[in-house]
Amino acid sequence: MTEFSALSRLLAASVVLLAVAGCASTDTAKNNGDPYENLNRKFYKFNDTLDKNFVEPVAKKYAEYTPNPVRNGITNFFDNSGYLNTIANDLLQGKFSQTAQDSGRFLVNSTVGIGGLFDPATTMGLKQHNEDLGQTFGKWGAHEGAYLMLPLMGPSSYRDIGSPVMDMFLNPLTYFASVVTIPAGVVSAVNTRANLLDATRIRDQAALDPYTFVREAWRQQREYDIYDGNPPGDGYEDYIEGKGDAAVLRVY
Amino acid sequence: MKALKTTVAAAFLLLSGFANAADDTAARQIVEKLHETLLAAMKGATQMGYKGRVELLTPVIESSFDFDSICRIVTGRYWKDASSEQRARFIATFKQLSVATYAANFSSFSGEKFHTESSETDHDALIVRTTLTPADGEPITLNYLLRPSNGVWRIINVVAQGVSDLSLKRADYTAVIKTEGLDSLTNRLDKKIAELGKGS
Repeated sequence: MTEFSALSRLLAASVVLLAVAGCASTDTAKNNGDPYENLNRKFYKFNDTLDKNFVEPVAKKYAEYTPNPVRNGITNFFDNSGYLNTIANDLLQGKFSQTAQDSGRFLVNSTVGIGGLFDPATTMGLKQHNEDLGQTFGKWGAHEGAYLMLPLMGPSSYRDIGSPVMDMFLNPLTYFASVVTIPAGVVSAVNTRANLLDATRIRDQAALDPYTFVREAWRQQREYDIYDGNPPGDGYEDYIEGKGDAAVLRVY
Repeated sequence: MKALKTTVAAAFLLLSGFANAADDTAARQIVEKLHETLLAAMKGATQMGYKGRVELLTPVIESSFDFDSICRIVTGRYWKDASSEQRARFIATFKQLSVATYAANFSSFSGEKFHTESSETDHDALIVRTTLTPADGEPITLNYLLRPSNGVWRIINVVAQGVSDLSLKRADYTAVIKTEGLDSLTNRLDKKIAELGKGS
């Protein structure tokens, strides 16, 4: 009963957020979609300082000392425990055959895959999908609204801010005692950070203004996820106006 | 007379069809040549070293990308205010940075494979869709946008797994130009090139 009321509250909150996202989306172009840039930059700096001094070094050590099969097992385990969220969002997006496939995947990996440590489902042709509440809202037509840099959690937006909340409610690990959830949360966070080491290496290698770099990369990644790998645009028309000899490069 | 017109029209359509198909092949070849060279750099990475990879990649990268257009796009509205010296210096630096980035990142080989999936027309440009598959992992999509420049196809953008290099650089670079100016941007890119060389 408590879970049910929590879920209904979550859905109510989501509807409100969706409405906010819808309203705010009208003036995204004017503000580069980042009306809170000043505050966002402060949070980015806070997160980055914490990451560079504490989280990244820990993740590097973890990656150095943990054999790959163990890391894969840990990644599989947390992916699987979060998979009910993917299934629920499959359903919310009306992807019925994907809902069935992902339910099969969750069942196979939870049982044959020993609680999700192994991923026999992929070998059986049940590939992993990536869905969350923000993608569902995106699919329903919500725009980003405004870019948000959340302390400790990183890039988000009005459209996406409900994702981790729904993820938490639908993750079975949430309902264990804190002696389980807290260490599990720490391992999950370190493992996730370790899996991002390549991405942040590229950021550090290429970015001049890391805040802007992360914002743009995150946005494009979200578009890619929302459209399941086929986002509209980012072709010719984004950079060039007109055709043939009359074509000119689009200048912003 | 009408039959003749139809024949001529049909022949014309057919010919233009052939021309398009030929263009497609030429555009694909540009991308595939780049991929082959990257593979060669990866496979011979240790013998060649960073400098060797830069030497191998420079001519191929310089002839595959339309750097003039790319540089105009990534500097956005600030390009028109730049002097011709500033532009020339920026383009030269940007070319070096592109080569250095490839040389630094394609520095080992463990069974990766490139594959051209398909190509399609987008206005008078072409999108060549390819994948890079690691030996043990899911393929990464690499989509190239090419446009004709002086009669040959040149790459103007690479979209890796949905992330567009051109729009990422435009956002990052214009943010720097806005606060520090184009010369400062070029200086900072020069520093990046030096770092890439040191790290490899």
